[in-house]
Amino acid sequence: MLSLGPMVFAQPLILAALGILPIIYWLLRVTPPAPRRVAFPAIRLLFGLTAREETPARTPWWLLALRLLVAALVILGLARPLINPSADYPGTGPIILVVDNGWAAAADWTARRAHMDDVIDRAERQGRRVIVLATAPTEAGEPPAPSAPIRAAEARALLEALVPQPWSTDRATTLAALEELTLDHAAHAVWLSDGVGDGQERALAARLQQLGSADALIPQAARPLLMTPPSLDGLSLRVGVSRPEAGAPRSVTVRAAAADGRLLGRETVLFGETETYSEALFSLPVELRNEVARIDIEGHASAGATILLDDRWRRRPVGLVSVGAEAEMQPLLADTHYIQRALEPFSELRRGDVQGLLESGVAVLVLPDIGQLNAEEAAAIDGFVSDGGVLIRFAGPLMAVSPDDLSPVRLRLGDRTLSGALSWTEPMPLAPFEPGTPFADLTVPDDVLVGRQVLAEPSLDLSDRTWARLVDGTPLVTANRRGPEGQGGWIVLVHVTAGPEWSNLPLSGLFVEMLRRLVELSNASQALGAAAGPGTLDPILTLDGFARLGAPPAMAGPLSPDQLGDPEIGPRSPPGLYGTEDARRALNLGDVIEAVQPLGPLPAGVAVSGYERARELDLMPWLMAAALALMIADLAISLMLRRAVALPLRPRTAGGIAAAIALGLSALPGEAQADETFALTAANETYLAYVITGDPTVDEISRAGLETLSLVLRTRTAVEAAGALGVNVATDELAFFPLLYWPVTDTQPALSAQAIERLNDYLRFGGTIVFDTRDQGVGGEFGSRVARMQDLTAGLDIPELTPVPPEHVLTKAFYLMQDFPGRYAGGEVWVQTTEEHINDGVSSIIIGGNDWAAAWAADGLGQPMFAVVPGGDRQREMAYRFGVNLVMYALTGNYKADQVHVPAILERLGQ
Amino acid sequence: MPPLLVAAERVAATVAQGVHGRRRVGPGDSFWQFRPYQPGDSAHRIDWRQTAKGQAVFIREHEWDAAQTVWLWRDGSPSMEYGSASGASKRDRAEILLLALASLLTRAGERVALVGGGDPPTAGRVSLSRIAMTLGTGKSPNGLPPMLDLPRSAELVLFGDFLSPLEEMDRVVRFFAQRAVRGHLLQVLDPTEVRLPFSGRVRFFGLEAEGETLVPRVEGVRTAYLERLAAHQRGLAALARAAGWTYAVHATDRPPQTALLSLFNALGSPQHSSRRAGAR
Repeated sequence: MLSLGPMVFAQPLILAALGILPIIYWLLRVTPPAPRRVAFPAIRLLFGLTAREETPARTPWWLLALRLLVAALVILGLARPLINPSADYPGTGPIILVVDNGWAAAADWTARRAHMDDVIDRAERQGRRVIVLATAPTEAGEPPAPSAPIRAAEARALLEALVPQPWSTDRATTLAALEELTLDHAAHAVWLSDGVGDGQERALAARLQQLGSADALIPQAARPLLMTPPSLDGLSLRVGVSRPEAGAPRSVTVRAAAADGRLLGRETVLFGETETYSEALFSLPVELRNEVARIDIEGHASAGATILLDDRWRRRPVGLVSVGAEAEMQPLLADTHYIQRALEPFSELRRGDVQGLLESGVAVLVLPDIGQLNAEEAAAIDGFVSDGGVLIRFAGPLMAVSPDDLSPVRLRLGDRTLSGALSWTEPMPLAPFEPGTPFADLTVPDDVLVGRQVLAEPSLDLSDRTWARLVDGTPLVTANRRGPEGQGGWIVLVHVTAGPEWSNLPLSGLFVEMLRRLVELSNASQALGAAAGPGTLDPILTLDGFARLGAPPAMAGPLSPDQLGDPEIGPRSPPGLYGTEDARRALNLGDVIEAVQPLGPLPAGVAVSGYERARELDLMPWLMAAALALMIADLAISLMLRRAVALPLRPRTAGGIAAAIALGLSALPGEAQADETFALTAANETYLAYVITGDPTVDEISRAGLETLSLVLRTRTAVEAAGALGVNVATDELAFFPLLYWPVTDTQPALSAQAIERLNDYLRFGGTIVFDTRDQGVGGEFGSRVARMQDLTAGLDIPELTPVPPEHVLTKAFYLMQDFPGRYAGGEVWVQTTEEHINDGVSSIIIGGNDWAAAWAADGLGQPMFAVVPGGDRQREMAYRFGVNLVMYALTGNYKADQVHVPAILERLGQ
Repeated sequence: MPPLLVAAERVAATVAQGVHGRRRVGPGDSFWQFRPYQPGDSAHRIDWRQTAKGQAVFIREHEWDAAQTVWLWRDGSPSMEYGSASGASKRDRAEILLLALASLLTRAGERVALVGGGDPPTAGRVSLSRIAMTLGTGKSPNGLPPMLDLPRSAELVLFGDFLSPLEEMDRVVRFFAQRAVRGHLLQVLDPTEVRLPFSGRVRFFGLEAEGETLVPRVEGVRTAYLERLAAHQRGLAALARAAGWTYAVHATDRPPQTALLSLFNALGSPQHSSRRAGAR
């Protein structure tokens, strides 16, 4: 490497090629430029002429300099100049590359990858071997082990395959492996750490230092983040995010997504200057919240920053059957009030009658003592329970006198009163809950006393079905599973009222907890069943290091139920979803790792740096690009010298080229803008439109004629015509115009397929086109231009045509007239054979040859531009009248065809 | 062709204002002058009314108005298509001059015809448009007029660049001069041909497949070229003088009126009339 200040040439030998520049200079000098070619008539006089001073033609010096510069740039580029080159590593032994590839390294893995490449590049440049050591256990469960000293190319291939793992690093094992490593020469170690401490980092760094020297890279800005599993906070999901070290304020975006990847919510989490932990609160509607399958951090793809959610975080809507209005009148006396207050904090409560609630898809149905259910309701509830629903019933006076079939146990008629004027017994407290019941871990407060209850008939299975008892052993809560095995739901009966009449249980906190457990029955009923069995939870889908959910790796094994309580995440049990498709259980890194610790202090002498630093800049591509650009410039100059391309020499042409380029650049927006302007103009007022034929004379006549006709319309009729507008049928929107005047010329080019399509659309949706062959209908039916018109309109949907019948609306739309003179008189006018039900009876095509626009056209002073043939003011007036009728016809349709006006018209006709 | 005709008429109109009649005595109807009787004059030519007014005897002379036939020709070869900066090619200029001359001549009552045009000489404006039509279609392969048998004593006006070798031109001039045809050569040249304004290394090629030549430094040969051109023109002038013809040079960057006026005057020069008088 040849070093020149901050610049270094990686291939200095190539610089020797600069020595050939003088040779190139000489070669270029002796080769004259190619001559211009000039046509010259008096060439005979030039033959054989020789100049008096025969100086050879020279390439101009500046062109020579340009070409030499190109050559020099190419040579310099090939020598690979580098700016900001990396220094050589100390030592002579191999380079030890230690890479933390645990979950914490995933978020900025690309930066690490770039650094690995950088290290390998430098090792390669120094010709040193590389030992690669990844600190996380592999997917196959093998502990971290250093590779043999390999060549840089092999190391590169090895590193290509290295990915972050979704579990933590194992620095202790790494350290042990390093202890066994012996090297002949002093090595240099580069440790790409993930910035998470586990107590081993100091020892590891010290060992690396022993092997020679060591650099450590610690992420500064993008420290790894860990997300803790969410908790249910009322109706919201609360998610915690922690970072290893306080420091600069940082904000990250947490998002909640459904199983299919739909984004359900985004929240910003802000870390203050001193905070290492912060929370996000997702307030989502229950349906959406139940769909949340995954919460992760945007732009931070790491298994640690991802939480998978399972049924435990799902909430099932609870239906509370309430009838009558007593609840609203005296809320404190109504059973439903207490149930509502107990359920509201942690579930979505719906109220209504049985049928309505079941149809709305509740998971739990709470039935207070509402008396007799009718047969339909009973059947519906039975079906609901059989399908896996949970029915929670409360006893009461009504049930006591008429127990029904929808109870877990058979009930005795009547109730038991423990306290009262005629009773010796005192209100009785609850017995501690037995293990195996949903209430097993709840403690029973002393002050909960039951005064009245309904009693179950003694039966063999009564004890199995009892989840809570009074101290004397009588069942307080009984439950029974119904429906097909494994899918059925629960019927739970609380033997007291939901209000405080029979007991003070509804007033206690225990009531809330008990109801909560009961509602959860619906959540995890199957999972509960599965977990209760001997089986284990098989992995379904697991996360990889980048938090992508995929098929579990081969080594991933099932989780046993006791592992669920205190799981260990590693190659055998990567984070992911376990269980069955019906009952999933999520295993998250956040379950295991309480908080991320920062990397502890490293021993002195270890050079610590961040991942962000100036990268070395290879100048070769830039030099080559500059050389290429100069070569193109040289080509252009050579052509100009030979006058083969004389364009840039003439300012006007150059301006034209610049304008063309500018036009090309601005074509799209400009066109769009023009379109919009055109649409605004045409839509804001009524314009009479003519087709731009490309013949300037004809177009000018059309414009002047329609302008004059607009004036006539404004002065004589209620039509507020704004003027004339030329349209290009191929590009302009036609929908704004009721009428299109189309003078047929011999020169108009044939229409494109798009134009035909547009015109057909225009005709189909109520437009009218007036074709004017402008030849008085001489020769043939319309005149000689008919063939031309047929060519032009090939492809248009031209309907069947007929000469204007005497009673046609065109003859009476505004003025009464029977012939339609224009500049010429007498030509036949053809219209569509009338079909009243199509397009309001307005002919979509009108064809004539009287050159109406020329008759209408007037110059700026209002003087007609063309004489009419045979002539006379009357003919011109009739031409105007035809124009008025035409516009009226196009605008008002068959209004005048209405029979209502026939008498008045007849009267005016004098018949 | 109409634009060419219009341009020619415009040029002719500017010249016509400065030209009056034939100003020569000759057979005709309009009065020209009285001159004193000289012995030998026929007695019936005496104007008695004028003689009675004074002492001397006068003879009435009339203005000569015999129609002359003028044959016109312009070079239609590819080299005439050349036109440099001014935009007008030599051929355009030659045709404008030809038509303008024809216009002037027909106004003066002369009969004009195109050499090789196939039409007999005619007078009047019809002949003008006929010539214009023929010009529009006719093209000649080389820069020399066809050697056709013209009536004796006809006038011939040749427009062209006359860059062919002098021997060829000599043959043409001799051919016509032997038939007592009076001729006028108007050499129409482009300014680049007059000045050779190029520089540097240039490969010149001819327009009539004469070949091409590479000039390493045009500046170096400019003087030699101008000398050759001058020699060529001197040769042409000598040819014309030997045959009693006139010769003039016209560059297309100059206004055509000048050339036309001198040409028209040459056609009616005293030398000319005296020669004709002698011939008669």
